[in-house]
Amino acid sequence: MKVLSKAKLETALNKLNQGAEVFLPMQKAQESGFYSWKLFQQGQDELMLDALNVYLPPKHVVLPQTERMYSIKLEGQDMKIEQTFEDASPRVIFGARPCDIKAILCMDEVFLTRGYEDSFYKCRREAITIVANACYQPGPACFCNAMEVNPVEPAGADIIIRDAGEAYVWETKTPKGEALTSQIAEFLEEKSLALPVAQPFIQDVKYEGTAEKLKKMFADHIWAKLGEACHNCGICTYVCPSCYCFDIQVKMWGDEGYRFRCWDSCMYEEYSREAGGGNPRGDGIERFRNRFLHKLEFFKERYGTPLCTGCGRCIVACPAGINIVKIIDEIKEAELHA
Amino acid sequence: MHKCECEQPLVPVIVEVVDIKDETPDIKSFFVKNPGGQGLPFNVAPGQCAMVSYLPVGESMISCTWQEEQEYLQFAIKRVGLMTDELHQIEVGQKIGLRGPYGNGFPVEACKGKDMLFIAGGIGLAPLRSFIKYCFKHREDYGKIKIIYGSRSYADLCFKEELFELWPQQKNTEVFVTIDSAEEVWKGHVGFVPSYLEELNPSPNGVVAVTCGPPIMIKFVLGSLEKMGYTDEQVITTLEMRMKCGIGKCGRCNIGSEYICLDGPVFYLSQLRDLPQEW
Ligand SMILES: Cc1cc2nc3c(=O)[nH]c(=O)nc-3n(C[C@H](O)[C@H](O)[C@H](O)COP(=O)(O)OP(=O)(O)OC[C@H]3O[C@@H](n4cnc5c(N)ncnc54)[C@H](O)[C@@H]3O)c2cc1C
Ligand code: SF4
Ligand code: SF4
Ligand code: FES
Repeated sequence: MKVLSKAKLETALNKLNQGAEVFLPMQKAQESGFYSWKLFQQGQDELMLDALNVYLPPKHVVLPQTERMYSIKLEGQDMKIEQTFEDASPRVIFGARPCDIKAILCMDEVFLTRGYEDSFYKCRREAITIVANACYQPGPACFCNAMEVNPVEPAGADIIIRDAGEAYVWETKTPKGEALTSQIAEFLEEKSLALPVAQPFIQDVKYEGTAEKLKKMFADHIWAKLGEACHNCGICTYVCPSCYCFDIQVKMWGDEGYRFRCWDSCMYEEYSREAGGGNPRGDGIERFRNRFLHKLEFFKERYGTPLCTGCGRCIVACPAGINIVKIIDEIKEAELHA
Repeated sequence: MHKCECEQPLVPVIVEVVDIKDETPDIKSFFVKNPGGQGLPFNVAPGQCAMVSYLPVGESMISCTWQEEQEYLQFAIKRVGLMTDELHQIEVGQKIGLRGPYGNGFPVEACKGKDMLFIAGGIGLAPLRSFIKYCFKHREDYGKIKIIYGSRSYADLCFKEELFELWPQQKNTEVFVTIDSAEEVWKGHVGFVPSYLEELNPSPNGVVAVTCGPPIMIKFVLGSLEKMGYTDEQVITTLEMRMKCGIGKCGRCNIGSEYICLDGPVFYLSQLRDLPQEW
């Protein structure tokens, strides 16, 4: 088997960095997330490849928090769009966990299928190579195994690395992966190492059947109880690797400017407020219900898989202690009112 | 920069406003075509919409109320907020952004051979008008046509010339107009659309009913139709939710697992019954 010795990791990253922007999990001051290797400051920042999930997922690499779409220019009664800003520069997500990659696969479904391909997403996405870091030791908040993710054999990876102590076992899965592997071939060695043994999950989550049951629970009183503590602050949507809702806005300086899109959150009142003030989800509980139904039922109905990948981030981040695992449990236990 | 050949569904094309017509004190019709007057950027089927954009301000989803061959696309737009206020200020010759066509449109084929009952309130006539005019254009394909329309006041009635002159002259066609409260100039019916509908009590035999208007009107009309014996398969409505992308990506216009921008805005009532009651 091919392995990349941990001692050579940083040199390999430097090499990859010459041809692409490489994003990997690191701790920067108080924050942890996927940052560009260019921004890594020796002695201050810490690489977090060993950590399970850093606070922020790599979703900004496929869907930036804000992204310019096209230029706008006004000349009298004329309006011009002179430039569009699709960005096809090569990027690598290095060391993404299987749950975060599943989230990207969910976004691929949204942005690339069902009649329209989003050009901004497509151009970026095609130039992204994903190096997955397989998981053998689930953390206390993890439940990806219940959400159609295989932590040891992740789908959607171009390369899979496996932590075998002194080195990462390096497995190339796709042509994109081969291109990346060939760039750092000089650092890879042939060696036989023992693979880690997959440990059991700490949480036992039973998602099967939830989507079907939820179909009968839209009007159930359970939502008032489940969402009572929710502030609709939106942090759960911000940290979630698969929450992709966006807004489209414009920025002008006099006669010039551009249109851009940015992350949005279904937890906010303005999200679905209509001209004239009407809002089909004016109440916080209605927005809470829509988020969890989107995750657990609607997405599954439309795309065949849940939009929650079991990463556990929202459980850790929520100031009100809302826990999607408990929600799944309560739904499974709830009695249906006819 | 855009280097590949892929389509750019979120980037508008620029069109020219070739005519503007006041319909009511707060609704104007905008007629657009390609800049320089050569043809249209795309074809729009009855019931489909487009994102109309005064670029420096915003984009709004608007039903195309009529496409006249290769002559123009017509949008009837009510002034209600940022973008629509700005549009109401522009003059003929102005360039604006447009992307589309979006949505499923009306099932014009499936309705062939049927009698048609159109029920609209306020700006809700704009989307139905594309279907109504389609029926007149293909008059032999459809049976009797009844149109019931209401607005707050006489001044607020949209497309007056068609309502009072052109449509009633069409073969086998009746037009019923009502306003909410009595006015001196108005000799016609007074009252809300749903109660006028019940008064007229059109038989459901062989009829497809199509309705659009403010949400509250739609609710009552659907109730009335049910009382009058219309089945859910005989009733079509168009829904409205706030929209941004128009192509089923941005997430906000969902009802259950359906996106109104992409899977709608036109639904049979039987389809809506399967969705969460959020409409
Ligand atoms: C399928 C569909 C068809 C429509 N057809 C017509 C029509 O033929 N004629 C017409 O006058 N109006 C129509 N509307 C409503 C129209 O889109 C809104 O009135 C318009 O977007 C308000 O924009 P604004 O910037 O002036 O208002 P603001 O309140 O300033 O809105 C700000 C932003 O909110 C969004 N927004 C607000 N209200 C709505 C809404 N009800 N629906 C969608 N987006 C909204 C817009 O994206 C807008 O940029 C339709 C809406 C939908 C969904
Ligand atoms: S983080 Fe918690 S409180 Fe905030 S919106 Fe999400 S569920 Fe509600
Ligand atoms: S909903 Fe919560 S647990 Fe599920 S993928 Fe999003 S952040 Fe992770
Ligand atoms: S408007 Fe974006 S999903 Fe419908």
